Amino acid sequence: MSEKDSFVKFENVDKSYDGESLVVKGLNLDIPQGEFLTMLGPSGSGKTTTLMMLAGFETPTSGEIYLGGEPISSIPPYKRGIGMVFQNYALFPHMTVNENLAFPLEVRKLEKSEVDEKVHKALSMVELQDFGTRMPLQLSGGQQQRVALARALVFQPRLVLMDEPLGALDKKLREQMQYEIKHIHENIGITVVYVTHDQSEALTMSNRIAVFNDGKIQQISTPDVLYEKPDNSFVAQFIGENNQIKGKVKSMNGKNCVVETDNGDEIVSLKININSVGETSLLSLRPERVWVNVNEKNYENNFEAKVEELIYLGDHVRTRVKVCGNDQFIVKIPNSSDHSDLKEGATVKLSWKAGDTRALDFKA
Amino acid sequence: MIKTIKLAFLGLISMAFVGSAYADLTFVSWGGAYTASQQKAYVDTWSKGSGVTVENYNGGLGEIKAQVEANNVTWDVVDVLPDQAITGCDEGLFLKVDQSHFINDMVVKPVSECISPQIFWSYVAFYDPAAFPGKKPKTIKDFFDVKKFPGKRGIHTWANALIEMALVADGVKPSKVYDVMSSDGGIDRAFKKLDTIKDHVVFWSAGSKPLELVSSGEVVMSLAYNGRIGAAILQEGKSFNYIWDGQVLEQEYLVVVKGTKNEAEAREFVKHASTAESLALQAKYIPYGPMRSSSIDIIKKGEPFFNTGVDVLPHMPNTPKRLRRSVIADPFWWADNGAEVSERFGVWKGN
Amino acid sequence: MSSETISGPILTSDGIPLKVSLRKAEKRNKIRAFLLVLPLLAFILITFIIPIGDMLSRSVDDRYINTVFPKTFEVFKKWDKQDLPPEEVYETMFFEINAAKGYKIGKSSTRMNYSKSGWKSLIKKSQRKFKRIKEGPYKEQMIEIDKRWGDPLYWKALGEMVDPTTMGYYLNAVDLKYDSNKEIIAQPENRRIYNHTWIKTFKVSLLVTLFTLMLGYPIAYLLATLPLKYSNLLMICVLLPFWTSLLVRTVAWMIILQQNGVFNNLMVIAGLIADENRWKLMYNETGTIIVMTQILLPFMVLPLYSVMKTISPSYMKAALNLGASPLHAFWKVYMPNSLPGISAGGLLVFIIAIGYFITPELVGGKDGQMIGNWIAYHLKTTLNWGLCAALGSILLAVMLVFYWVYNKIIGVENIKLG
Repeated sequence: MSEKDSFVKFENVDKSYDGESLVVKGLNLDIPQGEFLTMLGPSGSGKTTTLMMLAGFETPTSGEIYLGGEPISSIPPYKRGIGMVFQNYALFPHMTVNENLAFPLEVRKLEKSEVDEKVHKALSMVELQDFGTRMPLQLSGGQQQRVALARALVFQPRLVLMDEPLGALDKKLREQMQYEIKHIHENIGITVVYVTHDQSEALTMSNRIAVFNDGKIQQISTPDVLYEKPDNSFVAQFIGENNQIKGKVKSMNGKNCVVETDNGDEIVSLKININSVGETSLLSLRPERVWVNVNEKNYENNFEAKVEELIYLGDHVRTRVKVCGNDQFIVKIPNSSDHSDLKEGATVKLSWKAGDTRALDFKA
Repeated sequence: MIKTIKLAFLGLISMAFVGSAYADLTFVSWGGAYTASQQKAYVDTWSKGSGVTVENYNGGLGEIKAQVEANNVTWDVVDVLPDQAITGCDEGLFLKVDQSHFINDMVVKPVSECISPQIFWSYVAFYDPAAFPGKKPKTIKDFFDVKKFPGKRGIHTWANALIEMALVADGVKPSKVYDVMSSDGGIDRAFKKLDTIKDHVVFWSAGSKPLELVSSGEVVMSLAYNGRIGAAILQEGKSFNYIWDGQVLEQEYLVVVKGTKNEAEAREFVKHASTAESLALQAKYIPYGPMRSSSIDIIKKGEPFFNTGVDVLPHMPNTPKRLRRSVIADPFWWADNGAEVSERFGVWKGN
Repeated sequence: MSSETISGPILTSDGIPLKVSLRKAEKRNKIRAFLLVLPLLAFILITFIIPIGDMLSRSVDDRYINTVFPKTFEVFKKWDKQDLPPEEVYETMFFEINAAKGYKIGKSSTRMNYSKSGWKSLIKKSQRKFKRIKEGPYKEQMIEIDKRWGDPLYWKALGEMVDPTTMGYYLNAVDLKYDSNKEIIAQPENRRIYNHTWIKTFKVSLLVTLFTLMLGYPIAYLLATLPLKYSNLLMICVLLPFWTSLLVRTVAWMIILQQNGVFNNLMVIAGLIADENRWKLMYNETGTIIVMTQILLPFMVLPLYSVMKTISPSYMKAALNLGASPLHAFWKVYMPNSLPGISAGGLLVFIIAIGYFITPELVGGKDGQMIGNWIAYHLKTTLNWGLCAALGSILLAVMLVFYWVYNKIIGVENIKLG
C-alpha cells in the first residue's frame, strides 16, 4: 500500500489496562490521507481507547501505530502534531478565545503577527471573529464547540481527532455542526478521525466508518455499504433499523439459502455469514424493503401477516406486524391512498426479495 | 424509631436539669499525679455534702476571670499559684476565707486572705549520676558552670525562678535574692549570669519534658519540678540526683471562686483539705512538702510514709536543712515585676 | 388586547395594582428568608461580632481607674510634672485609696502596675499603713511609709491613665510607650520584644504557608488524579494526623528531631554529620516551622484537592496535544486553574498559623515563640487583657489587610473550597 493510502496505520495493536482482558484486540486499520473516518460503536467497544492511542495519551500494549510511515508509539503526544477536539471541548477556562487559539502557536514560537493572523483566520473559519476577547464560559455550547474546532486546526496539524465532539449539544445544533464539520473537512482536506456512538452522525459525515464492538472492528466500509450490506448481525443491528428473524439454515444453494423459522415458515435469503446447514442464523431485513399486498410473482418471500400496531408518522406509517412468528416485525408503509384501509388486527400480505434478506451469524 | 429518639432527647434534657439542681462541687487543679494525690487525700476523704468533680486546667486566671465577669461561675474551688492568689484576691475573683485554724501553723506567712494552704514545690536542678562518672555537681553554682561540668542544661521557657537561681549562683545569699532583684542593676546581674549558659541550654515548657531530656542524654542536667523527679525515682525506679542547693520554692494554694453557687460547701471543702492530717496524707502519694509545720511532724513520725513503703522526707523540698540554701519565691515581687521581666526574658531568649 | 391601550398602572385580576401585589408577595418571601437566616445571624452576633467589639473596646478602655481616682486625676492634671506633685495630689490620692471599697483598689493597682512596675505592691503595702496617718500634711508621711511615694517616676506614670481611653496598650504592643509627659517613645531596648515577635510571627507563618504549599501541592495533585482506590488510601494518610491528638504529634516530633533524637542519630550513624555538630532542629524557630508545617498540611491539601478535583484532566491532555511540553502545560494550564485552591489553602494556613500558640509553646524553645504565646501569657498570667485585646486587634487588622491585598491581587471570588 502506498503511503497515501495508509497515512495512519494500526498494525496488530492490542491494548490492555489490567493485564487480564483486552480492550482493543489485534487492531489493523489503514486510513488514507484526507479521509474522514469515523469509529462508531457502543461505549466500551474500544473506539475511544484507539483514538487515545493515536493521540498519544495511551500506549499500545503491543503492535505499532504509524503516522505518515513513521512509527509513533515512542513519540510523546506534544510532539505528534495531531489536533484534537475533546468531548467537553477542554477549552482553557482562564484564557480568552484568542489566547486559547494562540496557545498552540505560541508554543511553536511563531511571530506575534503570524499568531494574530492565524488566530483571526481560524476564528473566521468558524464565524466567531467577534468573539476573540470572550472567555470560553461566556460562550454558548455551540460556540465553544466551534472554538475547540478552530483551536484544533489553527496550527495546521496533519491529522485531527475528534472524540464525540457533539455529544453535549442539543439535537438541532448537533445536526448543524455535523454539516459544518463536514464542510470544513471538505474545504481544507485534512484527515479526520472521528469517534461517536451516534450512527446517524457517522452516516452523515464520514467517508468511511469503522464499526467497533468488543475491542474489534466488526466492519469498515462506506456508509451505504454498511447500511445496505452489513457483514454481521451486530453491524446490521447497530446501523439503521432492522428486522431480525431467527431460524435454522435448511439448505444452501449458490449465493442463496433457505432458513426455516421456529414456526415453520421458510425464507429465502442471501447467504452472507453462515457456513453450514443446520446452524442458527439471524436474518436481517430493512423495514423499507418489505412490501404490502403486491404482486407475489416478483418476490421470493410472501407471507401473511397480522397488523398489530399502526403509528402515523406523516410521510409513512410505521406498522408493527406479526409474521413468521415474530411480532416485533416493522414495516414502513408509504403514506399513499393504496393503504388507506390498513387497520389494526387486519391480515395483510407481505412480500420481500431474497436479495434484501441477509442470513447473518447468530450469537446466543 | 422517632419515638425512641424523642424519649432519649427528653431524657437528656431532664438529666441536664437534674445536673444543675444538685450540682457537684467542682474542684479544679493541674492534673496528673498531683491531682491524683489530691483526689486521694482530700476528695476521697470528703464525706460531707454531695460529690466532688475534679477538673484539670493549665493554670492562669484567664478562665476564672471570664467566669466571674460573665457571672457564670462553674469552678468552685481552684488550686492556684501565689501570684495568681494575690492578683485574683485583689481583683475580686476569690472569696476571703477563715484562716484562723491554720494561721499559726504555717511555714511561711500566707500571701493573701483568700487562700488555704496546700504544698510547697520547687524548681530544682537534677542529673543522672551516670552522666558524671567523676566529680558530681553539688550546687547551683555548678549548674551554671559549663567549664567544670560541660554539657547542655535544660531550663524552662519562662523567667520565674531562673532569675533567683542565677543570682544565687552568682554568689548572692538566698535570703538576700529579692533585695538584689529590687535594687538597681539586680536584674541585669541575673541576666549576665544567664548569659554564661545561654549557648548550652535546651528549653522545656511541659513538666514531663526535663525527665526525658535527662534520661535521653539530650542534656546532662536540668531544672524540673521536684515532684516530677521524686515520682520518677520513687515510682519508676530512676536514679536521679537532686541539687537542692539554690532551689526556688513555690507555694500552692486552694481558693474559693467568688460567685460560686456552692459557697458554704466550698468553704467547708477547703477547710477539710487544709487540715494538717489532709496535707500529710497527700505526701503519701506525692513528694511535695506540706505547708503546715505539724504535717511535717506527722510525716516524720510515720516514716517510711510513702505509699510504696519508703521514706518520703528525702524527696521533700522544705526540710529545715534544705530551706537554709533555698529561695522562697516572692509572689509580691513577681506580681509587681512579672510582666516586665518576662518581656526581658523573651528578648534574652530570642537574641 | 384592549386593556393594553388603557394608560395607568397595570392591575391584577382582582383590581389591585400589579406592583403593590408583587411587593406584597415578595415581602412574604423576604420575611421568610430573614426568619430562616435569623438563627445564624444571632449566632454570629453572639459568638463573633460581640466578642470582637468587646475586644476592640477593651484595647483602648481606661475608664475603670478613672472611677476610682477621679479627684486625684483632676488635681494631677494641674501638676507641672516637675519634681514631685504638690501636697494636694498626695492628699486626694490618700483619701481616694482609703475610700475605695472592696476589690476596686486591687483592680486599679493591677492597671497602674502596667504603666510602672511596682505600683501594685506600693498600693497594697500603703493601704494597710495609711491607718497610721491621722492628719495632713500627707506628702511627707506617705513618703515615710514607703519611699517610692517620693519617686517621680511613679507619679509620672499616672499621666497616661487620666483619660478614659488610652492608646497605651497599642503602644505597648509595638514596643512603644508614653513617657512621663505623655510623649510617645520607644521601650527600653531590653524590653523590646513585640516588634521582634511580630516579624517572627509573619516570617514563620509565611514560611509555613510556603512549605505546606510545596509539600501539599503534589499530594493534592496525586489525590485528585489517582484512581479512587489509591486516592482513598492516600487521603487517609493525609487525614490521619488530623485525627491524632495535637500533643501526641508534637511530642513525636520532639523525639524525632531533638539533638539526641532519631533523626540526628541516623545522620550521625550514616556519617553525614559529626557527633558534636548535631543539627538543632527542635526547641527553636526551625522546630516550630517543621512541626507547624506538618500540623497545618491538611488545611492546604484539602482546598487544593477539592479545586484540583474539578480541573478536568482533558485540559492537560489538550495542552499536550496542542504541543506544550508537560512542564509548560502544567505551568500555563494546570497551575492557573488550581490558583483558587492555592489561594484558599494559602490564606487558610496563613491565618491559622499567625494565631498559633500551642505548638510554638511546646517546641519553640529559644526563639520559636509567636505573638499568640504572648497573648496567652498576658491573658492568663498578668491578666493584662487590655494588652491582649490590643495584640489581638492588631492581629485582626493584619489579617484584614492581607485579605484586602489578596482581594486586590487575586480576587475573593477566586477562593474556592470545592
